Amino acid sequence: MENSAPTEGKDPSVFLSEIIGAPVIVKLNSGVVYKGELQSVDGYMNIALEKAEEFVNGKLRRNYGDAFVRGNNGRSILFSPV
Amino acid sequence: MADNEDTGGPSVSEPLDLVRLSLDEMVFVKLRGDRELKGRLHAYDSHCNLVLGDVEETIYVVEEDDNEEETVRTIKKQEEMLFVRGDSVVLISPQA
Amino acid sequence: MSFFGFETKLPRDRDGSGSKGFFETSDPFADIARAHALEDDDVIDFEDTYDGLGDQLPDDQDEFNDDTFGAGGADTSVGRDFDFFGKTAQVSDVIGEEQVRYSLQNPNSARVAPQPAAPAVQPAASKTKRSGYEKYSDPGYIPDLQAKSSVWGVSQKKPEPVAAAPAASTASRKMMSLEEVEAQMRQQGHNTSTPAAEAFMRSMVDSQYPQPQHLQTLPDGFPPVPPEFLHAQIKQGHLPPGMPHPPPGMPELYGGPGPMPPGVPLHMMQNANLPPQSMPPAGPRHVGPPQAQRPQQPQLPHLPQQQQVPLPNRTSANGIPVITNPQQLRDLTEEQRNAYLVEDAKRAKRNHKIFLLSRGNGLMTPQDKNFITRIQLQQLVAAAGNVADSDPEAVLAEDFYYQVYSQIRGAPRQHPPPTPGPLRPDLSVSDGQQARADNHMQRMQQQVQRAVEAAKAKPKNKQLIIEGSLGKISFSNAKAPKPMLNIKRPDSSEGPKPKKQSDLSLSDRKSILTNLEGVYSSLMAMEDMERTMPPPPEEGDAEAIQVHMEWRQKLHSLNQKLWRSLKVMEPIVPNSTTPHPFIAFLSYPKGKKAIPRIFRHIDQEQRVTILTMIVVHLDSLDVVRLAQPVPGEAQPSLGVREAIDLFSLAVMPCLLGYVNEAPFNIIIGLLGLVINQTHVQTVARTKVGLGILTMLLSRAEIVKEAGQASEHDWQQWVQKFNILFDTLELGLNDIFPGTISSGDDMYVWQFLAAVGIGASPEQQQRLVIAVKDRVMETVSYSKTLPADMGSQRLSNVNLFMRAIGLDVELLG
Repeated sequence: MENSAPTEGKDPSVFLSEIIGAPVIVKLNSGVVYKGELQSVDGYMNIALEKAEEFVNGKLRRNYGDAFVRGNNGRSILFSPV
Repeated sequence: MADNEDTGGPSVSEPLDLVRLSLDEMVFVKLRGDRELKGRLHAYDSHCNLVLGDVEETIYVVEEDDNEEETVRTIKKQEEMLFVRGDSVVLISPQA
Repeated sequence: MSFFGFETKLPRDRDGSGSKGFFETSDPFADIARAHALEDDDVIDFEDTYDGLGDQLPDDQDEFNDDTFGAGGADTSVGRDFDFFGKTAQVSDVIGEEQVRYSLQNPNSARVAPQPAAPAVQPAASKTKRSGYEKYSDPGYIPDLQAKSSVWGVSQKKPEPVAAAPAASTASRKMMSLEEVEAQMRQQGHNTSTPAAEAFMRSMVDSQYPQPQHLQTLPDGFPPVPPEFLHAQIKQGHLPPGMPHPPPGMPELYGGPGPMPPGVPLHMMQNANLPPQSMPPAGPRHVGPPQAQRPQQPQLPHLPQQQQVPLPNRTSANGIPVITNPQQLRDLTEEQRNAYLVEDAKRAKRNHKIFLLSRGNGLMTPQDKNFITRIQLQQLVAAAGNVADSDPEAVLAEDFYYQVYSQIRGAPRQHPPPTPGPLRPDLSVSDGQQARADNHMQRMQQQVQRAVEAAKAKPKNKQLIIEGSLGKISFSNAKAPKPMLNIKRPDSSEGPKPKKQSDLSLSDRKSILTNLEGVYSSLMAMEDMERTMPPPPEEGDAEAIQVHMEWRQKLHSLNQKLWRSLKVMEPIVPNSTTPHPFIAFLSYPKGKKAIPRIFRHIDQEQRVTILTMIVVHLDSLDVVRLAQPVPGEAQPSLGVREAIDLFSLAVMPCLLGYVNEAPFNIIIGLLGLVINQTHVQTVARTKVGLGILTMLLSRAEIVKEAGQASEHDWQQWVQKFNILFDTLELGLNDIFPGTISSGDDMYVWQFLAAVGIGASPEQQQRLVIAVKDRVMETVSYSKTLPADMGSQRLSNVNLFMRAIGLDVELLG
């Protein structure tokens, strides 16, 4: 189960807990994209990323050893296991 | 090593733990409206309301000159102590 | 319209019909009157109807008599009529008396007996009795019956009233009556001998009871039935020509309840007034009452008594003779007549009152009342808040009063099918009403159920979690915002992130910070425990001891947790590039700040362990490692200085506190660790390092001077001290921070003083030589400073000078 790729019909929270540690892309409504390892997600859709890269308009802007991305504010978040 | 699980467990079990680890540490905070803060995190809550000390605030202002070329101007401010309302917070990163 | 127009006159009709017994069963009011009359015996109806009518009739009649018949001539003609009636009345009186007597003597047999005696009366009387009088088996009620008969008498006194009444009463009725009269006159050959009034009476009666025999047998006293009533009934088809009793039509005459299922009002009355067995089985449902009643009639034991009712010449309860026809009234003495009239007026008044009061009787059956109550309850529930029903139409549909209003107003808007049709009971068929009532019942039950469910849901809300499509979704409060997901945490830290450990640079920092947070969590828990410490248990108080023990146990477990978080016991990896977790812990400001709080909650052994760890790693402490003087730099960076200050303020006092009480052998051991495990030169070039060394040296000197040191220990100490001295001697000049003007060097003079005290004379000599230049510099420099600052610097130097038996003063 743990090794299998997330499939349809699963609880999103199960999916999210399963991809912890995996590299993900987080896309914010503002267009900013963060790529990094998913450390954790919570019920507020707050996200902790490790070794995160911040892309603005496709250009690398910053690197963060750790990054906490606030989940609320109606921000749409895209989890894209790389 | 059994101690590990007891006290630490996973170093970051939920995202806000990352913020907690940064308590009393310098953090970088990205805000809405092209603003950034660097300061010592004194306090936070689950809304991401923050209290920062010795803060340097950077504001990015996009200006359009006569040639319609956009230039980004930065404004920097220093604050001894700052309260940040959580809904403006986009990202918090520890400044190692 | 005629129905409604009838309303006021209904009593009369009832009288007539009631006396004849046709309508009694179907007439709820008759039952009520009976009840009034009998008091205990529920049959109020008769009195009600009869008396009320009686009141109205006499007055009207009198007036109308004058109008219609004229003054004198009419009277005489009337008189003849009265004679005629009177004779029959007399006969009937006699019969009545006999019957009364007979019934009194032999109540059971009496009923049957009269029938042959008064065959003419029988049909009407028997009918009457069927419904109401069946219960009158007890002779005691007879007076009541007489009272009724008296009422009849009143109405009968003057036949003219009947004729006059139409004129006085509503136009419709009048019209009807005239038509009826004409029709009757045409149909039947009028008796020339009978006066117009009598003819009219008969015609009326005929109209009501087409059967000739009925007409003939009717006693004179029977009040006429308003023809319009009959017409109406006939029109409705309720009154078959041969069938004198039109039961179905009856209820409608009484207004409100009419439209209701016929059985309903009667049923109510029945329950209230009639012993069940006395009622014809068809009664409640009103299904073909006439047919049912007829066969029953002979069997009814009460019949004779009922027959007595119409019979005149009985005396009322108050001694005034019951007047059943005008003849009687005439025969009365003046006194009696007056008394009678007064009595009658009283009775009339009372009956009128009762009538008015009873008007509403039977409008609603118990079922209807239940129905209304349910609706009201329902609305209460609805008002209590059914959030689901936000549709205003739906709300209106539930609103009984709106429904009634809309019906009265002509139902301006039609509600969708789910809405119950007209709620007005009088417009609904019994089945429909039943169904509707059930419908409402169901709705109310549903609403109650919803309310209950809503109430049940509340505690769930308190738990702040509901199940949603995205898993459990919680509600927010001020401290905990509403989460969108409920992410399950992996139970074991091993699974998802095994690589954490491998990532040293980042995860180490994070793990140290995590340790720090663990420490603070434990600290806060322990401090909280301290606040909730139970009072010290007294001896013998087992319970208090138990509580205290449990508390201590908890505190101990927290202490262990704290200790584990500190990572003090982590194995020391020699030559490791990564600092020991505890030393890393101490490198964070919050780690340093935690030490005083930690020391309050740990025992001496743990303290010495911490001290040992610090001493062993003295040269890798951030405040030592980073504080190494850099050529060209007067002092460490701001951050390092802050760290040093913090360490000096937070950690050093704790260590000093322990060292000042530590046994000598521990001091010796610690000094040995410094010498063996650390780069002493590096340590000595920092404030913290020198501070710790000073600490140890001072403690040893104090121990020695107190004479607590054993010879063996002292020898060990001297040995180690000598090693230290020899190690430091070459670099003594380097232990001073920067240049002489760079600031605070007091801690160095303190260290030198500590060394000087413990040093041998030979060592002291070497010491003086090593630092002589700095002493001289400082003395001269201090003279350039402001007085207070200068004296401060001098006193610092003098601290050392006096330790070796000298004084700056001696230097001149």
